[in-house]
Amino acid sequence: MSLLQEEREIIVRNEYADNFDFAEIEEFVKNASKNLFISHTFKNSKKMLVQPRGGFPTYKKQFALNEFFVNANVDVLPLTIDSNTRLNDYAMSKKMLRLSEENDVDMLNGYPLVNHGYRTTRKMITHFDKPVSLRHGTPDARLLIETAIASGIFEIEGGPITYLLPYSKNFPLDKAFLYWKYVERICANYSKLNEPINRESFGPLTATLVPPCVTIVIQLLEMLLSLEEGVKSFSVSFSQSGSVNQDIVTSAVLKKMARYYAEQINCGDADIHLVYHQWMGAFPSNKDYSESLINTATVIASLVGADKIITKTRDEAFGIPTKEANAKTVANTQYTLRILNGLPNIVDKEEEEILEAEVKSIMEAVLNDSADTLWRKVFNSIKNGIIDVPFSPHIINNNEVVTVRDANKNIRIIKRGKLPISDRCFEYEKSKCDLNKDATSIVNDIIHDIGIMQ
Amino acid sequence: MKKNLLVDIGSTYFKVCDGEDIQQHFRDFNKDIFDDLKYKCADIIEKYKKEEVFICSSANGGLSTLIIGITNSFSLKYATNIAFNSGINIIDTVLYQNIKNSSIPSDLIDVVIITGGIDSVSDIFNEDLFTYLEQVNYSNIVYVGNENDAKFLSQNIKNLVVLPNIITNKLQVNENELKEYLTNLYQADIEGKEDIKHLYNITSNQIYSTPYIVNRTLPLINNMFKVADPFILVDIGGATTDIHYSTTLVNDNMVKNNEYDRLVFKKLGVYKSKESLIYAAKNNEFVYELLAHMNVTENIFQEDSDKALRTLMKLAIFLVLYKVSEAHPLYVHLKLDLLKSIVLTGGITKVLKQEEAEDIVGFFYKKILNTTIKPNIVLDSNYEIWTLGITQ
Repeated sequence: MSLLQEEREIIVRNEYADNFDFAEIEEFVKNASKNLFISHTFKNSKKMLVQPRGGFPTYKKQFALNEFFVNANVDVLPLTIDSNTRLNDYAMSKKMLRLSEENDVDMLNGYPLVNHGYRTTRKMITHFDKPVSLRHGTPDARLLIETAIASGIFEIEGGPITYLLPYSKNFPLDKAFLYWKYVERICANYSKLNEPINRESFGPLTATLVPPCVTIVIQLLEMLLSLEEGVKSFSVSFSQSGSVNQDIVTSAVLKKMARYYAEQINCGDADIHLVYHQWMGAFPSNKDYSESLINTATVIASLVGADKIITKTRDEAFGIPTKEANAKTVANTQYTLRILNGLPNIVDKEEEEILEAEVKSIMEAVLNDSADTLWRKVFNSIKNGIIDVPFSPHIINNNEVVTVRDANKNIRIIKRGKLPISDRCFEYEKSKCDLNKDATSIVNDIIHDIGIMQ
Repeated sequence: MKKNLLVDIGSTYFKVCDGEDIQQHFRDFNKDIFDDLKYKCADIIEKYKKEEVFICSSANGGLSTLIIGITNSFSLKYATNIAFNSGINIIDTVLYQNIKNSSIPSDLIDVVIITGGIDSVSDIFNEDLFTYLEQVNYSNIVYVGNENDAKFLSQNIKNLVVLPNIITNKLQVNENELKEYLTNLYQADIEGKEDIKHLYNITSNQIYSTPYIVNRTLPLINNMFKVADPFILVDIGGATTDIHYSTTLVNDNMVKNNEYDRLVFKKLGVYKSKESLIYAAKNNEFVYELLAHMNVTENIFQEDSDKALRTLMKLAIFLVLYKVSEAHPLYVHLKLDLLKSIVLTGGITKVLKQEEAEDIVGFFYKKILNTTIKPNIVLDSNYEIWTLGITQ
């Protein structure tokens, strides 16, 4: 037995999980319908794929949600995992699942996949025969991902940085890297049996004034960490920033750099896709405005040439959206995409050149770290503040970078902390902002800019 | 063949790693450690130059420390963590607001650590500290708190060593300087001890404490064993029982260079601390069920046999897991339900078989955590884990 297999046997030994039959699971993946693989759908679809969010605790409600989505012409089904499972607290999720089933009240904010088990969940996944995207936010997702793939879920979101810095305060970052390394290896191994398992990074991060260079660097690094373990299909992503022009520039640089760095590590044969998230910040309480915001995001997704769009709903400001609201937004987004024709190809060379220079400077600093492995280079870079995510709650994050919006709503860096961007780039960033105001006014601007779409 | 000779001096055994071969010898307490080592391993030692010999030791009991801090969540916790990971044994901690009513340790304290506050605060300490310290019998004293109070404390405490604050302004831990200080103090302590200092006749390298070396080994453990993370390493020795644990198992607000922390249980050794181990066992509400499970009675505590020794080893495993479990809320709580592997090392590996270790861990998981699923047990049966970290 290989060392990895020995480790897997230990990982899946959990009283809340199914007894794993690895041989049967391998046989299942080998013979699984190609329609379950988003990597296959990416290759064969000529349109942007539409994927909502959503997860309910009980099997019955999750099944009903999927039925609604299929009727609304969804391309990719979501499976959002509850927060107890995200924290590996399967005992609590089991208890809350029982209460949800007995009382028909949702006691969890998602689907407790480990508790339901792969044998049960597989029935639902294969019934709908559409690719399913696993969305969770788990630093130690090893058991969850084993269960997901055994269930027929072949699109796994997350990564050691993007699922930690925005969500966690204390979880050790070095451990997150090692646990995600396990996930990548499992995905890479299963990819050899049928179509590739797709890995998707979570670009929105804290969704709060994150400068594009930081988003892009983190996307690139999670992609490289995944590809170096053998993953062959990867999606980089980012979310609507509030500036149409900045989104277009971000997309151009992200696509170009992803291809460039993949080739640098001899992984040019991997498929790389672009995913765009509709607005991830605070939503307006006026539902009509919310719909307008969602439609604008769909237009931008077309302008940036995304391969997939992840939708929001008009009910976003009021809690967990209903299945009806979710299905409505899928139908509306599909409609908007159908009528968007002949969009112009917008290029802003100066902005692209600045952003590319910033990304390259940070990447160079990360890759020049003296550690002997990529994950430790990245770990050191986060610890040293070379990578710094604004408003991250994690104690390891440097939290010295300060950003504000300029007159055109572009996110600009006005305090660079330890980000190794050149003086020329930094001066350019600052030159776009009015920094002659007093400190209180600038702080008020930042507070205003956080809630820009409200 | 390896280029180095590795030696671990324990309180009961010493272990010598010559190439791939590890020898273990019972200590002869009638002899000086150096003489004993030379007597038993002269032919091996002669093969190596002084710079090729690496030694670690827990035989002198390590340094003892008393920590005074102002909060349990930051200063005391940070200093405790640094001390444990430097291989130092903690005698007591004092919360500064309670210092007037705190008991005075009767033991001689090797080092007192004073800490508290971020650098922007000041005037934390007053006369109460000096009054308390006057009653403590200590050899060294170090201040690692806010920089504003350093001058005031230096003026009032003789021989105070001042080092940078262990708490940064972002409430992160800065461990390097204190760790280096404690490690050097350990070195000085060894040099001052007749028994150990002769070992410098055969090595030109620094002699570190064994727990410090084991802690450095943990990130490399997969080179030797298949261990799934998160894991704990339990080192059951003659004088103490140590737990080294993956930091994933605690809800912690510290960022450290090391992803593993250490706790030491001075009263859970099976030779030197045998009486206190039995005392702790007798005061545990589950221990009689455990003895019944092992098919022995409490009379075993009076016996001096292999069976009694095995029972003590099993008790040490149980008690140490119990102390860090939810069942013992007043102590450090490890999330044992997330645990994937337990590595057992130390003298225990010479006594217990794999199935005996599995049995006791199974009993603990069933009885305390109410589950039949237990972590993977790895027995470092050749007691060689320390060899991974010693030359790092």
